Order: sequence, then C-alpha cells, then structure tokens
Amino acid sequence: MGKKTVLELMINGDTFEIACAPNMTLLEALRDKALLTGTKRGCDTGGCGACTVIMDGEAVLACLTLAVEAEGCDIRTIEGLALDGKLSPLQEAFVEHGAIQCGFCSPGFIMSATALLAEVPSPGREEIRRHLAGNLCRCTGYVKIIGAVESVAVKDRGGEK
Amino acid sequence: MHLPIFTHRQPADFAGVVSALTEGSGAKVLAGGTDLLVNMKHRIEMPETLVSLKKVADIRGISLEGDATVIGAATTLKEIRQNSELERKFPALVQAAMSVGSYRHQAMGTLGGNLCQNTRCRFFNQSWQWRQVRSLCYKVGGEDCHVIGRKHTCFSTYSGDVAPALLVLDASLRITGPDGPREAPLSTLYSGEGRTPVTLGRGEFVTAVVIPGAAARGKSRYEKFSLRGSIDFPIVGAAVWRGDGSVRAAYTGVDRAPVRASELEAELAGQELTDASLKRGANLAHKAAKIAPTSVHPVSFKRELMGVLFVKAMRDIS
Repeated sequence: MGKKTVLELMINGDTFEIACAPNMTLLEALRDKALLTGTKRGCDTGGCGACTVIMDGEAVLACLTLAVEAEGCDIRTIEGLALDGKLSPLQEAFVEHGAIQCGFCSPGFIMSATALLAEVPSPGREEIRRHLAGNLCRCTGYVKIIGAVESVAVKDRGGEK
Repeated sequence: MHLPIFTHRQPADFAGVVSALTEGSGAKVLAGGTDLLVNMKHRIEMPETLVSLKKVADIRGISLEGDATVIGAATTLKEIRQNSELERKFPALVQAAMSVGSYRHQAMGTLGGNLCQNTRCRFFNQSWQWRQVRSLCYKVGGEDCHVIGRKHTCFSTYSGDVAPALLVLDASLRITGPDGPREAPLSTLYSGEGRTPVTLGRGEFVTAVVIPGAAARGKSRYEKFSLRGSIDFPIVGAAVWRGDGSVRAAYTGVDRAPVRASELEAELAGQELTDASLKRGANLAHKAAKIAPTSVHPVSFKRELMGVLFVKAMRDIS
C-alpha cells in the first residue's frame, strides 16, 4: 500500500473513516483528521510523552505509531475518559491536586497513568514514578502529578495511606 | 515533522516478509518503530518500503526448546520485562530491557528491533535543518566522518541496551531470508562499521533469539550509566556473566558495535575474584573498544566507566 486509502479507526468507541497515506502517524490522524486535538504534539520523536494514547490497553506514543498500523485496534484518547460529562477519577484528582499548570502535558500524563491503573490498580509511588518517566512536564514539576495518581491508587486500596 | 513517503506492506508470514523485502530496493522491516520512525522523521533513513511485522505469525512469544529459551523477534521489551522465568534465569536480559527508554518505548519496542537499531552520533541524530549547518557526514550521504575527520568511514556508536546482555549469555539469532532460515551467533549481526552497522543480507530479517540453557547456570547483571535516570540511551552499558569458573563481559555505547571484552575475560578466566583481580580485569576493559567522541562525553570518561561498571556489576552478583 503506497497511496492514500480509507482507514477505519476505532477511537473512543466510535468509528472514524480516515483517508490517509502510509506515512501518516496516528497522532496526525487523531489531530488533523478526527479533529481530536486533546492528544498533543510535543517533540514528535517519542521523547516527551505528550502524544500518549491507549491502544488495546497499552499506553503508546501516537507520534511513533503509523495510522495504518492502528486499524483494528481499540484507541482511547483523553476525550474518551469523561463519561456523560463527568471527568474520570484520575482527571478529577489532577484538578484537585493542582497537577496542571499550562496543561499541555496533562493528556499524556493522564493517559499514561490511566493505562498504569488499569494494569496495576494500586501501584506504589516508585512504580508510578517509573511508569510516568517519559512524560515530561516543564511547568509544575512532578510532585503534584505523582500525588494525584497516588491519591487514586490509594482510594483503590480502600483509603489507606 | 512528517514522515517521508513510503510504501507500507503488512505480510502475514515469514515468506511474505522475505518477498516484500526483496521487491524493489530499499525496503526495511518495521517492528516497534521507536528507532526507525524517529530516524525517518529526521531524514537519516528513508526506505522506500516498510514491511510491518505486526501481523506476521509465529514471531512473538517466549518458549522453551529443550533447555534453550527462544524469544520471538517481535516480542516486546515489556513482555520480556514482565516474564518471571526470564528474570530468574537471565537477569541481565530483563535489566537491559527495563532500562530501554520509557515504559511506552518498552511496550512498543521489540527485541529484534532493539538489536537491529541504528548507530548514533551527535552529528546526525539531529533534525534535517540542524544538519544543514555543516556538510553532511558520511552516514547521511556526505563524505566525511566529522567525529574523526576522515573520509568514507563512520564511527557512530551502537547504543542498544539489550545486545550486551545477550552477548554474555552467548545468544544466537534465527534469521530468515531468500535462502531460507539460518542460525548465527549474535556477534555476527554487527559489522563493526557505523554506516551499515547490521550485516543482514538483502531480504533477511531476524525471527528469533535463542539463549542456550547453559547460560542459566551462571549469574548475570546489566549496569547502565546514562545522563538521565530514564528515557535515555546509555553513555556506557555493561553486561557481565559469571559461571563455570569464567567471566564474560560485554559493552554498549563504546564502539560501532556491541563488544565482548575478550582481554578482560582471558585475564579473569579461572581466577579467584578478589578486589585485586577485578581491578586488573577492569583496567583491561577498554581494550575491547575503539571509543570515538560521538557524544558530549569525553573518550577518557567512557574508558574509565567501562571498568567502573564492570566492577559494580560483578560485585552485585558476587
């Protein structure tokens, strides 16, 4: 396949028909074709984590994933986390903890942490730190972000500290 | 940064991969994409065709054949990291896989892709625009190696984490190509030349890594020194293995290929491992590599690190 084809991408439970050439990344398909601009383009080379989305349950870098390779996969973006206008517990925790400043890195952090919590419901602080390494924030530092994720994990452990 | 234009193929079996790789010229295998697609965005590599391994059967997974462990080339680094049997038998391999990039890179990146990754150098691992400030280096179409100031040679550095761990485990590769399957020691995958660091022939690709059962009868360890604690390539990475009265050591980040430290190994063969003998071995480590200033770190620093990491790794398994 060298020329444009029409892909069917399953994004947040909806099917999007997207005309694209093989050299289109999933990030470009999400932002420029599906107009889901919550997923951010940062370094565009896999170093900052701003473009993190969840594909078949796995947090991946959309800037280094070809759109054609994402066909048939269940793709989740930041737009798919809120249900009926209610933020996910992790999104709420980011707000409560002030884990957002300019907000550019937040979708990547939240998608990374969402994937972690789905796989390991009660990760320790060290596991959270290791999992979020690769998501860069240039405003807040990482303390509040890690605290926000930890608060959701702690809640899952029944509120124990 | 847009990717350059290419044709995308998604075969279902080994024969389909070989066929797609041999059609036309300039086809490359696409596994996790975390190395290749970055290089393509920077216009370091511009293959005409990408042959995806995503739908290829029998190329992913970890199994036993007799006492040998066979790991499919498209097995992700995350799958290796999470495998308790590998962690028990070959800790260096799991430690090396864990040290690659971020968790995202480990979920996307594959064993075969990590082994076959391109070499790195400060003169070409930059954007296309950045590279325009001086003449192109030999690796990306020019004539000179800016690292050593010679024509028609390339001293870019191999920086994969997993290769040294597999080298001390005496691993071999299963390779399939137009002439059928073959098995070869891992060390033969690397040419020792920076411009074309991997020796695979036209139409060939790695299908699996085989670790002999004997490797599980020793202790192993991977130590990495990098600028940042995560998402970073090694400045120097060292893998060691100890068993049957012998010591093996291999390095990454120090030469155009991952290297086994043969002088060091010969010095310590059959020796009692004391502080003094480890120091003697550490002093010989740098002889295995021709270190070039391909990063901001001085050659002398890397040379010393080779010994320091060796001693640290050996103490951890003593």
